[in-house]
Amino acid sequence: MISKRYVLKRLLLLIPVLAGVATLVFSILHLSPGNPARVIAGQRASEAAVREVERQLGLNDPIWVQYGRFLFDLLQFDLGESYIIRRGQPVTSVLRWKFPITLELAVYGQLFGILFGIPVGIISAVKQDTITDHLSRFGALAGISVPIFWSGPLLILLFAVELGWFPTSGRISTDFVVPQLTGILTLDTLLLGQYDAFLSAVHHLLLPSLVIGIYSMALISRMMRSSMLEVIRQDYIRTARAKGQGTKITLMKHGFRNALIPVVTVIGIQFGSLLGGAVLTETVFAIPGIGQLLVDAIRDGDYPLVQGTVLIFAFVFTLVNLLVDLTYSYLDPRIEQ
Amino acid sequence: MLPAWLRAAARRVLLAVAAGVAVGVGGVVAFALRDGLRTATEQVFALGALAFGVGLLGWSGSVMAGRGFENMQRYLDTGSDWTESDSRRAMSRVTGFGVGVMVAASVATAGL
Repeated sequence: MISKRYVLKRLLLLIPVLAGVATLVFSILHLSPGNPARVIAGQRASEAAVREVERQLGLNDPIWVQYGRFLFDLLQFDLGESYIIRRGQPVTSVLRWKFPITLELAVYGQLFGILFGIPVGIISAVKQDTITDHLSRFGALAGISVPIFWSGPLLILLFAVELGWFPTSGRISTDFVVPQLTGILTLDTLLLGQYDAFLSAVHHLLLPSLVIGIYSMALISRMMRSSMLEVIRQDYIRTARAKGQGTKITLMKHGFRNALIPVVTVIGIQFGSLLGGAVLTETVFAIPGIGQLLVDAIRDGDYPLVQGTVLIFAFVFTLVNLLVDLTYSYLDPRIEQ
Repeated sequence: MLPAWLRAAARRVLLAVAAGVAVGVGGVVAFALRDGLRTATEQVFALGALAFGVGLLGWSGSVMAGRGFENMQRYLDTGSDWTESDSRRAMSRVTGFGVGVMVAASVATAGL
């Protein structure tokens, strides 16, 4: 049972995390070259027009006033309006429809990492120092080391261009029209009963999920192996084996849950990398999610959109870590102490 | 009477704030000679906010995920001696320094 005090303590930690991220984004954007008023008014606008935009945006106020106002607006969930990419639209509403796309990709990538990483790690530990173990460790090392901007195009070249098994880009075949309910395409198609569209969406998601999930799988399998090896050497495992219990049952019944504890924390920690990876993956696979939006917003100098996107990334990352912490304390109640 | 750990933490942060104030005042004066007061204030304040943001994020991140990182490094045999408590202490210094610079940038502008 997880105590309310523990949950509250973890929830309160969200405040300094988000305040830190907000301050970082604010200061980086203020230190970066370029005048947002000039960007909004247009490169050919007169000085008077630029001054007017500056006045409207409050850019003439002292910087600490701007900082205070930024934090105050943030407290009211007001992330401002997009300057350029979706001119005039509130950032929150732009993110509302872009974020589920990235979340879907990250979740499928994570799922891929968990579903393959955990069994590979267990097999590697059980078959320690065999060829299987060496191969899985080599694979894990390669998976951790290879960057997405290299593995992405390589997998597209092999599986999409050469073999033709998967589409090269997009989220779904152009034959289907799916009304947006949640924004998560695979969920929407299921909710609407469009099963052909669901299959098409999954087909489009497999390759990007594989690309984004490789790192996750490598790290999880590496952690699972180390953790399982530690558990295997414990006295209670030896006792269970001595009492005549089969190896598989001993490992799965007594070892698996305990070995899973450190792996669960890693799953949470590297979810951040997964979101970061989504930025690259979406660009490589032309998926119109929040990652691609961030790249466009940085390129065009759409500051409110950059701020909002980074904040939403931080919020989700901290939320996932909170969930992981709660799972962790469920698996090992001593953590709350 | 404050407990010893709280006194130590307060001393650590206050010293960092003092260092930040000194650097902030120096920074505003140096930048003001080159770029003018307004630009100097904005740049020094933004730099202070950068340190403050990094510190605050690092501190809360250490509290939130530090134990997980310690575990991960132990299991991956990285040989690192990084600990959550060391990181938390270091980050509280960075946060204090950032606050000092931000305050100095604001006050120096008013004074000059």
